[in-house]
Amino acid sequence: MALVEVKDLVKHFPIRSGGLVRREVGQVQAVSGLTFDIAEGETLGLVGESGSGKSTCGRAVLQLHEPTSGSVIYDGRELVGLDKKELRDLRQQIQMVFQDPYASLNPKMPVNDIVAEPLVIHRGFSGSERQEKVADLLRDVGLRPEHGNRYPHEFSGGQRQRIGIARSLALDPGFIVLDEPVSALDVSVQAGVINLLRRLQDERNIAYLFIAHDLSVVRHVSQRVAVMYLGKIVEIGDKAPMYATPAHPYTRALMSAVPVADPVKERTRERITLEGDVPSPVDPPSGCRFRTRCWRASDICATTEPELAEYVPGLLTACHHPIGPDEDITSVDVVSRTAASVSA
Amino acid sequence: MSLATEGGEQPSADVLLDVRDLNVTFPSEDGDVRAVRGVSYRVRRGEVFGIVGESGSGKSVSTMALMGLLPPTARITGSATYLGDQLLGRRDRDVRKYRGNNISMIFQDPMTSLNPVYTIGQQLGEIVRAHYRISPKEAKGRAIDALDLVGIPQARRRADSYPHEFSGGMRQRVMIAMAMMNDPDIIIADEPTTALDVTVQAQVLETLMSVKDRLNAAIILITHDLGVIAGTADSVAVMYGGRFVERGSVDQIFGAPRMPYTLGLLASIPSLDQDEDELTPIPGTPPSLVNQPEGCPFEPRCSMAALVCQESEPSLESTDHPGHQAACHRWEDVMKMATDPSLSEVPG
Repeated sequence: MALVEVKDLVKHFPIRSGGLVRREVGQVQAVSGLTFDIAEGETLGLVGESGSGKSTCGRAVLQLHEPTSGSVIYDGRELVGLDKKELRDLRQQIQMVFQDPYASLNPKMPVNDIVAEPLVIHRGFSGSERQEKVADLLRDVGLRPEHGNRYPHEFSGGQRQRIGIARSLALDPGFIVLDEPVSALDVSVQAGVINLLRRLQDERNIAYLFIAHDLSVVRHVSQRVAVMYLGKIVEIGDKAPMYATPAHPYTRALMSAVPVADPVKERTRERITLEGDVPSPVDPPSGCRFRTRCWRASDICATTEPELAEYVPGLLTACHHPIGPDEDITSVDVVSRTAASVSA
Repeated sequence: MSLATEGGEQPSADVLLDVRDLNVTFPSEDGDVRAVRGVSYRVRRGEVFGIVGESGSGKSVSTMALMGLLPPTARITGSATYLGDQLLGRRDRDVRKYRGNNISMIFQDPMTSLNPVYTIGQQLGEIVRAHYRISPKEAKGRAIDALDLVGIPQARRRADSYPHEFSGGMRQRVMIAMAMMNDPDIIIADEPTTALDVTVQAQVLETLMSVKDRLNAAIILITHDLGVIAGTADSVAVMYGGRFVERGSVDQIFGAPRMPYTLGLLASIPSLDQDEDELTPIPGTPPSLVNQPEGCPFEPRCSMAALVCQESEPSLESTDHPGHQAACHRWEDVMKMATDPSLSEVPG
């Protein structure tokens, strides 16, 4: 059974007019009906470009944003609609690690206190018990306990992210939402934090919702991957088919746009260059939200929203014109599309 | 594919920029910050020269020094000539003659590089009018042409828009348009796509390369992203602790690195098309640029470090491939390990 079950999750932010009355004049449809689950000890990678709603999704799952509608079940318990007290108890088991280790740690607190805070609040730890537990946590994330009385600014970016991870582990959570946990770090440091997250998951059987824009990192940490575009999951499923033969045109384009650190591959790779920008989530396109940038779009895409269905084994894809695993992607329409944008 | 830009050899007519022994030092309370040390390179017409490094490696400072964009406290020594004209040590008024004209720059964050209260057309036109005597109308016409070239739809109408009316990718195209206004010979692009999503990044890089071809210009591409370098650069310099630690053609750097830091960088990024068990991070943190110890700046983090690495700093020297240089006492051992996998010592 899944540890986390998210069903039809919606989060719209109201846009209010200026002035005293602050009438609602529109809605940012940040997350529009997401359904996915995460098993115990599993990592679901959530990828998408800026504005796709992936961070909002993470926060809505944790009830940091109150969802507009939908359901989030953790370990058999519904989180949506819980009162503050109940939520606070449940938050011991569900944690979050943020992108910016500079902004998410209190600069005026020594690291010992930062890591101990959840223990003090939820478990009433004090004295030597608290000290021991904090030292264990710091060791677990690869920091030296004797550095615990230093302040965040005395640590490097990678070390700060480790402090954030130690804090999230303090209450032995079963589920952690990681929102771009390594994207602020230099690559040589990033690898160490990724290894740490994988080791902690193995040791503690924690489920991760790993939100990131870096597809290589997501491949490395995830068992399953969901691709978001403009508030919707356009494709979700097992990592292997997702990276080898994704059926959704957007996933194909996204994968092909990632620069790889290999000049030989870069020269021979087929690149699908999408035109234009992501449309505004205030007024998303009708039907399929990707249709305005899709080279395979037809009339039906404007009128009917595609449902998630299995076209490639192990993947669910929301597309009227999915790409078959054996289909030649170097088809004429793609090449001409790419050529057009070069000459532009 | 052009060969690596060699310092001191093969003088040729198509060398646009010749930088020799560039040093940049910032005085600070803790002592001198030696941000750039002994950097030399040449850039030829039509070439994309990539400078790759992590934060604090000195990659941005090394090009800003050429453009006179560093604070007056910076001490700059060495030589940098553009078609024979010395760029360093000049008064700002004199550097301005080249800046934005023969040599232009594109920065990471277009929102802070554009003036919010002027239209895009005015800002682009101003660049021409700063260097040439043409009418405002003519300048606007050239601005529209440039916007059209970088793929901004309805350029005529968009020239009257303000920066906030553009999306991030479009703003970065405006920056490229801005950089090409006076048909420069050299475009310095400092992390031009770092703030962009990958699909937009691909568009912007394509635009930049087509502008380069059109102007037959050279590009100095500064980035931390090895993927971007692999896909666009002809020759590459890897920067660490203010120095070039390896230099060569893009195939040499990625295919046969001879410096453990480069190897470590390549080992620490996960692959897009293969599963790997564990990544190999580089232990430790980048060096402080104040009071640097004597030896190799990478020595404290290097798995191959020997005694000599603590004692003396290696200089950039030729390796087994022509035009490929590495600053490493043990580059030959790095090479042996690459050719003989049975030597199991893992670098990085």
